[in-house]
Amino acid sequence: MEPEVSIEGSAMIQVAVVPIGTVPSNLLRDYYSMLIPLHTIPLSAISSFYTEHQKSPFAVQPWDSGSLRFKFVLGGAPPSPWEDFQSNRKTLAVVGVVHCPSSPDLDTAVDVFSNACKSFPSSLVDRCFAFCPNDSQLEDGSKKGGNLRLFPPADRPTLEFHLNTMMQEIAASLLMEFEKWVLQAESSGTILKTPLDSQASLSSEEVIKAKKRRLGRAQKTIGDYCLLAGSPVDANAHYSTALELSRLTGDYFWYAGAMEGSVCALLIDRMGQKDSALEEEVRYRYNIVIMNYKKSQDNVQRVSPLTFELEATLKLARFLCRRELAKEVVELLTTAADGAKSLIDASDRLILYIEIARLYGSLGYHRKAAFFSRQVAQLYLQQENRLAAISAMQVLAMTTKAYHVQSRSSLSDHSLHRNGIVSNNADSGKTNHQSAVSLFESQWSTLQMVVLREILLSAVRAGDPLTAWSAAARLLRSYYPLITPAGQNGLANALSNSADRLPLGTRCADPALPFVRLHSFPLHPTQIDIIKRSSAREDWWAGAAPSGPFIYTPFSKGESNNIKKHELIWIVGEPVEVLVELANPCGFDLRVDSIYLSVHSGNFDAFPVSVSLLPNSSKVITLSGIPTSVGPVSIPGCIVHCFGVITEHLFKEVDNLLLGASQGLVLSDPFRCCGSPKLKNVSVPNISVVPPLPLLVSHVVGGDGAIILYEGEIRDVWIRLANAGTVPIEQAHISLSGKNQDSVISYSSETLKSCLPLRPGAEVTFPVTLRAWQVGLVDADAGAGKTVSGNYMRHSKDGISPSLLFHYAGPMKTSEDTPTNGSTVPPGRRLVVPLQICVLQGLSFVKAQLLSMEFPAHVGESLPKLDVNNKSTGEHVDSETKMDRLVKIDPFRGSWGLRFLELELSNPTDVVFEINVSVKLEKSSNENNHFTDQGATEYVYPKTRIDRDCSARVLVPLEHFKLPVLDDSFFIKDTQLDGNGGGRNASFSEKNTKAELNACIKNLISRIKVRWHSGRNSSGELNIKEAIQAALQTSVMDVLLPDPLTFGFRLVRDDSESKKTEPDKESESAVSKGSVIAHEMTPMEVLVRNNTKDMLKMSLNITCRDVAGENCVDGTKATVLWTGVLSDIAMEIPPLQQIKHSFCLHFLVPGEYTLLAAAVIDDANDILRARAKTTSAAEPIFCRGPPYHVRVLGTA
Amino acid sequence: MATTACFIIVSRNDIPIYEAEVGVAAKREDAAQLHQFILHAALDIVQDLAWTTSAMYLKSVDRFNELVVSVYVTAGHTRLMLLHDSRNDDGIKSFFQDVHELYIKTLLNPLYLPGSRITSSHFDTKVRALARKYL
Repeated sequence: MEPEVSIEGSAMIQVAVVPIGTVPSNLLRDYYSMLIPLHTIPLSAISSFYTEHQKSPFAVQPWDSGSLRFKFVLGGAPPSPWEDFQSNRKTLAVVGVVHCPSSPDLDTAVDVFSNACKSFPSSLVDRCFAFCPNDSQLEDGSKKGGNLRLFPPADRPTLEFHLNTMMQEIAASLLMEFEKWVLQAESSGTILKTPLDSQASLSSEEVIKAKKRRLGRAQKTIGDYCLLAGSPVDANAHYSTALELSRLTGDYFWYAGAMEGSVCALLIDRMGQKDSALEEEVRYRYNIVIMNYKKSQDNVQRVSPLTFELEATLKLARFLCRRELAKEVVELLTTAADGAKSLIDASDRLILYIEIARLYGSLGYHRKAAFFSRQVAQLYLQQENRLAAISAMQVLAMTTKAYHVQSRSSLSDHSLHRNGIVSNNADSGKTNHQSAVSLFESQWSTLQMVVLREILLSAVRAGDPLTAWSAAARLLRSYYPLITPAGQNGLANALSNSADRLPLGTRCADPALPFVRLHSFPLHPTQIDIIKRSSAREDWWAGAAPSGPFIYTPFSKGESNNIKKHELIWIVGEPVEVLVELANPCGFDLRVDSIYLSVHSGNFDAFPVSVSLLPNSSKVITLSGIPTSVGPVSIPGCIVHCFGVITEHLFKEVDNLLLGASQGLVLSDPFRCCGSPKLKNVSVPNISVVPPLPLLVSHVVGGDGAIILYEGEIRDVWIRLANAGTVPIEQAHISLSGKNQDSVISYSSETLKSCLPLRPGAEVTFPVTLRAWQVGLVDADAGAGKTVSGNYMRHSKDGISPSLLFHYAGPMKTSEDTPTNGSTVPPGRRLVVPLQICVLQGLSFVKAQLLSMEFPAHVGESLPKLDVNNKSTGEHVDSETKMDRLVKIDPFRGSWGLRFLELELSNPTDVVFEINVSVKLEKSSNENNHFTDQGATEYVYPKTRIDRDCSARVLVPLEHFKLPVLDDSFFIKDTQLDGNGGGRNASFSEKNTKAELNACIKNLISRIKVRWHSGRNSSGELNIKEAIQAALQTSVMDVLLPDPLTFGFRLVRDDSESKKTEPDKESESAVSKGSVIAHEMTPMEVLVRNNTKDMLKMSLNITCRDVAGENCVDGTKATVLWTGVLSDIAMEIPPLQQIKHSFCLHFLVPGEYTLLAAAVIDDANDILRARAKTTSAAEPIFCRGPPYHVRVLGTA
Repeated sequence: MATTACFIIVSRNDIPIYEAEVGVAAKREDAAQLHQFILHAALDIVQDLAWTTSAMYLKSVDRFNELVVSVYVTAGHTRLMLLHDSRNDDGIKSFFQDVHELYIKTLLNPLYLPGSRITSSHFDTKVRALARKYL
């Protein structure tokens, strides 16, 4: 059988093209390719070479429209035993090809050529084409003449033109030879034999039969020559005669041959016009042809003409091969395929299958074509030689598309693109089931595995390691679940064996193992956050920090999410990381020599890493790289160097695979079978690379560990910032964020600002003053039972430490750089320095309370200073000691008083604390005018030491103060509680007074500082303001508020008396102004001052007590006599006025006495009741003055 | 019963969703592969033939050597394909009709995703029983 048979093939002149001498294969191919287009030489073109020697037997040769057809066979075909039967099987011409540079001796070449021609006995015209001769050869060759044709070196069009001319000459020579042959055959006849006739002994009957048939056969052959000579009409005439004769002689075989020829003549004649009538005619005649070939097989012979039947079938199929006639063609091809098993010659079967596959392919039946291609490949593989294996491999490669196992290198861009779209759709939102299914069309895994295995086998035999590797990789990657562990090992070995034969660094389009999927893109660590900066805003960082009263803002949240999802900014020169997950679902140890990100945009340097994966395991690894230039970056996958070959693993493919696995369409999910958790689809964000930005790196001086502080401790922490980038920092701004921001007392942004611009590599160190916050109540409780480290752990976990935010940016680009718009300002960055503060429980405050102490005053001639407006001090404040100045006359009470603030502190820690209490003094305060000379603004009390697990009380003496007027403003709260609507009384001044009190308390509190020290470098301040305030608030009523009434006693000297006893008085006054002599009438007066704004009615009582506290005015043993009224003195005191009540006392016994005044206020108003904290309105308001001491001198 | 019979259900997406060797011939792996190859190739012919007739049973559409491919196309363009070497047209037709019914029952299962592999062992058992009965 011959390949590529067609009906028109009968009209083709077979020309052998043989290389003479050594012709490099690529040049031979080149020369051959120049000959191919010359397959049709029009008759009109050869007329110049044609000379009519005799009358041409081709009577109706169409000189204007006809042509000669050539079939060039490289290397020539061996003589066929059937060439008498079909003249187109004869090699009628030989063209030798000589490449002159490699065969310098033309004589030798000519000899070799004439030898070569001997193997083509039927050849009528021989020509030897010598290409690229040099000058000497040209000279030499031109002398030779004969069959040698020299083609001087020229460009290709010229060469083609020359060749065309030479072919025309050959065509003309052939035509003349045909004429000669036909004339000879017509006149003398010729013996035509086929293998069918070549019986050794012919019976006489058969000899007669053969003689009869001879004429018909001759006519048929003449017809063949007419066809070859391009004269279909002549051919048809001869064929008609031949048909008639062979029908009469029962020569079915030749009948069929003549019929075939006639169909060809018909087609050549009707060249270009194809109508259904012609088609019907061809179909009809060919059916006769096939039938007659079949009939001729009935003669039982050694040689079967089956091949002719099959060829005829294929010819018809080729003629009809159109989509509309698919059914008919399929029928023909199926019949042809059935004939295969009757074929004896394996190569015939091979050709048959090849032709069937070709025809199915041109019909568009790719699966059918693939099926027969595979049959072809199997036939090739049976031959067991390398060339056949190469052929098998190539044929199988053609089937891969139909079986959907094609190598990625053979995939067109279009299909890749289409897949991309599909998977994009799958990514976005709900997966459309149909699209998912369509991704896995034609997953005939059994067939696919067989085909891949055959490719692998043939590639190994053919010695093509790359194809073998690729096939093994596809097999292993796609069908590992169907392959036994032993088989997987075998494939792994095949991969490594193939890789051994490949040069180092070979790339293959088909990935093997492992499976690689994108795990995640780690977001920027907070250290290198990028903040968009606009040139319009000077404080671009402000927008970045959460603003407004809401912690959660739906708008900003969504925005930031979007950014995270779809956009990622990388910076030139700064390493980035991407997490990918690798899976090895096979039963062998997988060693990945290197894996790195594959970036097609070319602006990224990826760093390879090597990994080894255990059988059935998966691993998440970090791949890193450095962006090298500005622009978008796309990461479609990873480049993997595994099994000795470099392959690209696309994330998208694995995503599709996983999608299919989830739908139950593919065999298995490689990640799940490795025990990896299900991961949601990670979409590759749009990554853009921006120009280099500055990069701040922070470092806490003295170690980056946690800063351990006791509650209230104040410490300076030094933070060192360094610019690790390549761009200077021109803007910087510090702010605070996080919890416990108030624990950062100060930070020196000026230090940082003064260092700007911070050059690359430059450093700046600046202090941050911290004060530890209070450990929460819960912490304190838990801390009691816990160790310090336990506390520490918790603190660091809670993330309650504040952070310093540094917003910084490089230079704004000048307008020349970006003339387009101003918005392309390089972004700024944010550095978050979390201050790892760990607060340990320190001194704890237990309680605070106000204590008051009274010293009774001595009754003198003048009262202690009562007028609050007068700033003069009390009489006795003359002590030089500091302590004494705190003992003061209470201007309202009229007695000496000392106020303490008692603080109770405990130390639950295991270190010793020392307490320093200091009170800041106010120079303007009315109590310490005397001490202006000291200039001390702060008074420090002695240190108090509190051992571990001990508690201590610290007394803080207070300079007391009271408010001038007792009015309802203090009790607004109380009256409101009573529901009396006291608010109506609250005038502005009252409010003012209240505020004044609060201010006083605050002022007082702010002046008290409790500092502590512990160990060498821990010191701090106890934050007890609230506690003191609470303590003051509860006792402010009792201690700080003025009493409604102030009582004072004084001695009264009559003017007359004083005049009389002037020397006495002088002496007395020299001794003591306030001395009282026993046994003497002592006039005294009591002053009662109304501190309220209301008229007070009351009854006053005065008592005198002795040292023992006995009442010495009343009773039987009274030692004091008196004149005047001492009890139930009814009084009415207008607001803020004082009233004197005079009386005289006569002391019988010298010694110490105490005078006490008390009053019962009638008709007390609400304010007084509130002050007295009465429970019922009926209760009398009792007001008692402070005791006054009287020292009575004299002898008993 | 047929010596060789390979039954296969191909979804509308050309994915085989059920495969069974139902012949009595000794099972040989390369033979089974060849059967699938033949059936796969026959899809080309079925794809054209299915639109030329209203009948679901397309009879024998293709053959390779002694092996004949009979096809039954459901309304959803799922193809039930049988490769056989016997000429028992009526039996094959009944077989296809009964398997079609089984297939519809599978489709009605809400947990079955149309177009995915039929893994039900019940289905398999039933198909094999039908093959014994008709082929």
